[in-house]
Amino acid sequence: MRKERDGISVEWVKLELLRTAYATRGGLLAARDPRFVIGWYLIFAVVPWFTHNITVLAALFTVCAAAVFLSRVGPLVLGLFVIGFVLESLYVLFAAWLFGGDMSTVLALVVLTLKLATISLASMAAFVSLDPEKLSDGLLSMHAPAMLSFGVSYGYRMLPVLMEEFHTVVDGHRLRSAPLAAKGFLGWRVVVRTATTLVQAFYPLMLNTAKRTRTTVEALETKGFTYAAEHPDGRRIRLAHLRADHRDVLLIAVTLLLVAASFALGHAYPLQAGVG
Amino acid sequence: MTGIDNTPAIEVSGLSFRYPGADRDSLTGVDLRIERGDFTAVVGGNGSGKTTLCKTFNGLVPHYWSGTFDGAVRVMGHDTRDLSVGALSHLVGYVYQDFGNQLVRPTARDEVSFAPVNFGLADHRERTEEALELLGVTHLADRFTWQLSGGQQHLVALAAIMALRPDVVVVDEPVAELDPAHADGIYEALADLNARLGTTVVVIEHHAEYVARHARSVVLMADGAPVWHLPAREAMERVAELERHGIPAPQVVRATRSLAPWAPVPLTVEEAAGHLREHFSDPGGGPGPLPPAAPPGTADSPGPRRPSGEPVAEMVGVRHGYREVGGGLAVVLHELDLTLRDGERVALVGGNGAGKSTLMRLFTGLKVPREGTVRVGGTDTRTVRPAALADRVCYLYQRPEQMFLKDNVREDVAMFPRGRGRSDTDALVADVLDRVDLTGLADRDGRLLSGGQQRRATLAIGLAMRPALLLLDEPTSSLDTASRDAVIAMLDALADTIRCTVVATHDMHLVAEWAHRVLVLDHGRIIADTTPAALFADQALMASVGLVAPQITRLGLSLGLNPPPLSVGEMLDRHQTTGRIRA
Repeated sequence: MRKERDGISVEWVKLELLRTAYATRGGLLAARDPRFVIGWYLIFAVVPWFTHNITVLAALFTVCAAAVFLSRVGPLVLGLFVIGFVLESLYVLFAAWLFGGDMSTVLALVVLTLKLATISLASMAAFVSLDPEKLSDGLLSMHAPAMLSFGVSYGYRMLPVLMEEFHTVVDGHRLRSAPLAAKGFLGWRVVVRTATTLVQAFYPLMLNTAKRTRTTVEALETKGFTYAAEHPDGRRIRLAHLRADHRDVLLIAVTLLLVAASFALGHAYPLQAGVG
Repeated sequence: MTGIDNTPAIEVSGLSFRYPGADRDSLTGVDLRIERGDFTAVVGGNGSGKTTLCKTFNGLVPHYWSGTFDGAVRVMGHDTRDLSVGALSHLVGYVYQDFGNQLVRPTARDEVSFAPVNFGLADHRERTEEALELLGVTHLADRFTWQLSGGQQHLVALAAIMALRPDVVVVDEPVAELDPAHADGIYEALADLNARLGTTVVVIEHHAEYVARHARSVVLMADGAPVWHLPAREAMERVAELERHGIPAPQVVRATRSLAPWAPVPLTVEEAAGHLREHFSDPGGGPGPLPPAAPPGTADSPGPRRPSGEPVAEMVGVRHGYREVGGGLAVVLHELDLTLRDGERVALVGGNGAGKSTLMRLFTGLKVPREGTVRVGGTDTRTVRPAALADRVCYLYQRPEQMFLKDNVREDVAMFPRGRGRSDTDALVADVLDRVDLTGLADRDGRLLSGGQQRRATLAIGLAMRPALLLLDEPTSSLDTASRDAVIAMLDALADTIRCTVVATHDMHLVAEWAHRVLVLDHGRIIADTTPAALFADQALMASVGLVAPQITRLGLSLGLNPPPLSVGEMLDRHQTTGRIRA
């Protein structure tokens, strides 16, 4: 018996991706100026590399985890992260055991895992909170190339369309390709079929996209996209709406304070992992 | 800008153009003058050079498409070769046929302000608000463009070009990708811009009906050059010539020409009704020559025909909906009961979002209903996988390119029968390709075919699946009139292999000429289950779901014919019959 599910289904994954991409859930960072959000992210992307102190890293991890909670990161992204994190930890233990390592080896690997996990959490919190416009304007204001900032917003614009199209093409394969006679051991045939279908679905997707971009490129020309690249007025106007207020400054201040506190904590109760 | 008042909006002189690598000119020796404030329709068959001509107006030809360019195009007095594409877009705005791909920004407001901001215009905010206001889409400003319906997207694309306050607007086939109600909306918006701002409007159009109603002058293109440029009424008088170039005259024109050849050519249904009434109901004091009469050949029962055939598929108490980004459940179908029977030709009509596509998808088993039961040939769709149902049900998507999974048409058609291990696959594929007249093109990629060919290729894919139930989503949308008639003829010929065909459509010509049974879907409920003639006669119902009957049907109704005629031929037949009776 088949049933329409609202839980884990293709439909749900599509919705979750949209909710994530378009920052529909709001949250702590969503209301902030994009430049400060990107700055906030850069702090956590850089700082973990300056220490091998597990106490510091654990404290930073906790701060980022709190930020993820306050930024209302959706279950799909979070779930993928947790699965990755758990698998990674298991792998660390397994690798240490296999190569006859002792506690210090485990700790050394834990350091790396914690660093990566902290950065992942920070990027989740930041990018879930930036909708396409904010992200592209933020990048532009930080003097990223115009092509990159436009590409980001255009990617967001196309995301729902491509997802829908991809789903349709996969459905077409489901209906029209030869049905599987047997599932095989542990359903390996199903896995192989699913994988080949996903790969084959890219062919029509790419061609259809190539067709539609012809109009897009012409339209960009008429809308002065290349003109804007040569004349700075457009950039100035586009970024005029970006205004930081005291809360943005407060965000960075509190963040720096928390980072400092983490280091102080690590200094007071150090848990070092050899020379990492 | 240009002070001289009699400068035409567009002046083309001695223009020839050849795309790089092409073996013949796309435009050859074009001379054309479009006055300021005109509303011009450019008509002509496929490949007559309409779109290329219009792309010379905003400089895409020759600045973007470099080729062999001779002669000159002047827009508001400026030679297009002297200005960049960016500068020209302040003079000429262009809305593409695939306008969805023209929208490049996430939200509607961002889209509209994109060009003014890029050009660094200080008053970009006023321009944006003004353009949104002008097209009546201010309420959509903060929506994401992918959330908008086709009609709304078109209006936003139009608003985006109006934000540069161009003197000329070019719109490429607005009717092609839109349902009639939205297409009317676009034409009204264009007429409004034309009247209020004096914007010169140029439309590329296949449908003579819209040309007659809205355009003031008509350019007929053939083989890369204008045949003539005439006022709309004079253009419509040249019925035979238009027909030769693949533009059948509007139904009211054909009917009036046959019934009252001495009357001036009518441009609207009202005009036609006026002429016909005047010329018929005058002398003799009789009751008028067109009394209500049953159409010959069809049964006179106004309601739906009694169910006769075996049920092919049914829905019992079906309720279905989908999750929204916000998390809420949007219910699309409510408590739906429906039986489809052997031998039926069913048209499913209703506005956008009425639930037509969802209803059809439920029959394929790709989705199962949240409540109620869907049965196909007695099998509950919940109990089998969609791949198993595909032996009995085939659903053809609205956009043909979504059906092309392989790199040539033959492979696409063969995919299903070969996958099911049919030994006669090759013979079947050859036969099907022959039926849709695509044998010669079978080794091409489906995406590279013309609109009509693509549609026939998807029909071939469907036929090779040998389904009992064939479901088609908008099979005639974005086709020119000739390709559309070919598809309708093909649907007619399917009757022998398919037990039941369901077509979801906005095309009332298709409903009139092909369907036997019409289901009217409104907000997820079937509010009428009837025949085409009875549907068209019920004007209150038609208006409530935003449908517009074919011209000839409306003409018949306004002349008091009930049931109304469904085709020009039927109207003429009935007139002859009644004429004979009276004689």
